[in-house]
Amino acid sequence: MHVGPYTITYFGVRGRCGAMRIMMADQGQEWKEILMDFADWTKGDLKASCVFGQLPKFEDGGLVLYQSNAILRHLGRNHDAYGKDGKEAARIDMMCDGVEDLRLKYGKMIYQEYDTGKDQYIKDLPNHLDKFEAVMAKNKTGFLVGDKPSFADYSLFEVLLNHLVLCSSCLDTSPSLKSFVEKMSARPKIKAFLGSDAYKKLPINGNGKQ
Amino acid sequence: VSLTLTYFPVRGRAEVIRVMLKDQGAEFDEKVITMEMWKESTLKASCVSNPLFGQLPIFEDGDLTLYQTNAIRRHLARKLGLYGKDQREAALIDMMDEAIQDLLNKYIKLMFEKDDSGKEGYLKALPTDLKPFEKTLSGDKGSFLVGDKISLADYALVILLIHHQVLSPPCLHAFPSLQSYLKRLCARPNLHAYFHSDDFKNRPIIPGKRT
Repeated sequence: MHVGPYTITYFGVRGRCGAMRIMMADQGQEWKEILMDFADWTKGDLKASCVFGQLPKFEDGGLVLYQSNAILRHLGRNHDAYGKDGKEAARIDMMCDGVEDLRLKYGKMIYQEYDTGKDQYIKDLPNHLDKFEAVMAKNKTGFLVGDKPSFADYSLFEVLLNHLVLCSSCLDTSPSLKSFVEKMSARPKIKAFLGSDAYKKLPINGNGKQ
Repeated sequence: VSLTLTYFPVRGRAEVIRVMLKDQGAEFDEKVITMEMWKESTLKASCVSNPLFGQLPIFEDGDLTLYQTNAIRRHLARKLGLYGKDQREAALIDMMDEAIQDLLNKYIKLMFEKDDSGKEGYLKALPTDLKPFEKTLSGDKGSFLVGDKISLADYALVILLIHHQVLSPPCLHAFPSLQSYLKRLCARPNLHAYFHSDDFKNRPIIPGKRT
């Protein structure tokens, strides 16, 4: 259905656009970035026009979407990254929802408990990663579900990259996830994107913590 | 092909699945797991090692076993034609549903707080959360959140609104479109029958509290 062009309107961070950018890059898609300055955002004009008063805002031709996971699913449908059948689609949904749970925990630590909670978060992390490790190990294809990347893979990959910044050894006890990150990072278009200024110049989070 | 829902004897996160299936007239079995059974049993352990998420609900569709409420809901929506008429509508349904999940997560957090101290702040913030849905449903095309057929997102919203009215009966007073939407959906024959059934009425929203 992809009509294009794709446009992201967001703050100058990776944040909730990290996964969709990596996905679009890997899928060979061009996209436009509209950078929203936080001071302008608080003035309220754009905010008032956003259905839920939040960014990111995503445009695919005339279709305007909000909510990062809705955007990921839309990209999944556009680029055949939602499984080959209903069973795979359901498993991909499960995985993506699991990644979202991890994102929420990470976000809570980053924005609310970084100084007091970081060490414990890193200690607890293997407990949260073991489900993904088990699925990845069982599937054996190097992806969570099926034999090609789904939107859940891009989301997991991106959140793991952020965790490696938090703690560079955090995947040492998860060999399948470690290998997954290495393989995804080596995919030519992803490698190019991760090496680009566009990616490197943006902080992960809005409060400068990582 | 048989459908089976495994969950605690509460509405909780699974109620939206029940509402969807009841409205669509889809037969399903229920396996009830009490908290005692859950703590003692190997079921929880098997969920964790299965290798998914150590949680309920579990949903079985023939030989497909699913975890994660929202994955279950999406699977059923695809199966039962509740995901819009095309890809564009599917994306808009997802968008609505994500926002509903945000509010649901806030609601669940409130429900599990040890006292009522958070309730006042919650109710003050509620209109801001409800406004986008009111806006979407107002105007001449407001039958459902997206398109002209009930979807995944509508089922989530209808049960959330019903539970908010339990929390605070006047909470929809400023939202005429939401009120009319709720009335219209609850008048659907299967939903009307289900919401008036003992099955629904006697099932607590969450364990031990408030119905």
